[in-house]
Amino acid sequence: MRPGHTSGFRPKLTVVGAGAPMQAPQDFDWAILMARGQEGDQAAYRRLLIEITPYLRALAARQLFNAADIEDGVQDILLTLHTIRHTYDKSRPFGPWLATIAQRRLIDRLRKTSRNRKRETTLTEDHEQFVDGNGRDEPMVQPRSLAAAIASLPVAQQQAIHLLKLQELSLNEAALKTGMSVGALKIATHRAMKSLRALLTPGRDQ
Amino acid sequence: MTTTPDLIEDLARNLQPVRPLQKPLTRAILWLVLAMIVLGLLAISQGVRPDLWLKLQQADFSLSLAGMALTGILAACSAFMVSLPDRSRLWLALPIPSFLLWIGNIGYQCATHWVKIDANGVSSGETLRCLATLVLSSLPLSLMLLLMLRHAALLRPLQVALMGSLAVSALTAAALTTFHVLDASAIILIWNFGTTFAFVGAGWLSNRRIFNLVAPRLRSL
Repeated sequence: MRPGHTSGFRPKLTVVGAGAPMQAPQDFDWAILMARGQEGDQAAYRRLLIEITPYLRALAARQLFNAADIEDGVQDILLTLHTIRHTYDKSRPFGPWLATIAQRRLIDRLRKTSRNRKRETTLTEDHEQFVDGNGRDEPMVQPRSLAAAIASLPVAQQQAIHLLKLQELSLNEAALKTGMSVGALKIATHRAMKSLRALLTPGRDQ
Repeated sequence: MTTTPDLIEDLARNLQPVRPLQKPLTRAILWLVLAMIVLGLLAISQGVRPDLWLKLQQADFSLSLAGMALTGILAACSAFMVSLPDRSRLWLALPIPSFLLWIGNIGYQCATHWVKIDANGVSSGETLRCLATLVLSSLPLSLMLLLMLRHAALLRPLQVALMGSLAVSALTAAALTTFHVLDASAIILIWNFGTTFAFVGAGWLSNRRIFNLVAPRLRSL
């Protein structure tokens, strides 16, 4: 016999097990809902998924920091749970089953993101375009000297450069506008580029 | 991008009834029965070693054979247990005692009477037959195990792959020992631990890739 009964003194069970009455009925409910879900009860399954989502979100928020990542993590857990719902044994508590699935999926997700982070490189200032021309292979050409250089070319070449390079027309469009053949335009452009390069590159003009 | 409420609605609306898995030990026994059938058929087709009965009366031989068989059985139980999300990972320790019995026994044999390979060496015929036993027993056993444990791909692929490999290699080693006259200690070591390490190593390296072949597909978002 327990001493509590013989003496008429009732131990304060409620204090010792304070957390239990909050947890156990919920786990029990979830277990029932999951068992019904296994049988194909859509309403029970929907209720279960809706009820566990805040719990999953809290678990995910402990390991992931970005709101979008957390939501992805929650959805991944829900999908996994759905895919392996036949592994749940209704004679056992639901909580540990769900918690392990959640943990495994979150850890997998963390590993994947850290692996991706290792492969990716953050762009630094070095990767940006140089507006001032520093660090480029060829020195930046002043617009005015470019215009002057183009003006010094033969007329046909000037036309080719204007239409094909500055207005960025296609060869066919330029051919229609000038009345020159596509081949002639190509040759004119090629020669024009060659002369321009010679004119504008210091030390190459001789 | 699907929102979580949409996903829940989608999953609930397309819910199909599923049959819950049998208890893990029942499934482990089922696999072991299938394994016995495979090994039994192999024993019939290849024949056991001629001196098997004589050997079984030697304590060290029968102890190491028992160690292999027990390791196979316990590792299979462990794999089925660990493949479930709500079972403790302590089940991984289940095959350790029998594994130690197996290793310890072979180690003891090697230490006390190291049998050298004699002048005739190992005939290539025997090696080929060993290889045949190895492939014919391990391949069907691994495939069956892989299919029965495919849900583990999403949970603990590494642990399950390790235990599964251990189960397959222990049973294969038992088959090799009963079917073939392996008397030189070096050969026993090579066949027993070579296969075990090869299997466990392969399980370690490829657990994700192999499991992903048979893994239940997550529905895409």
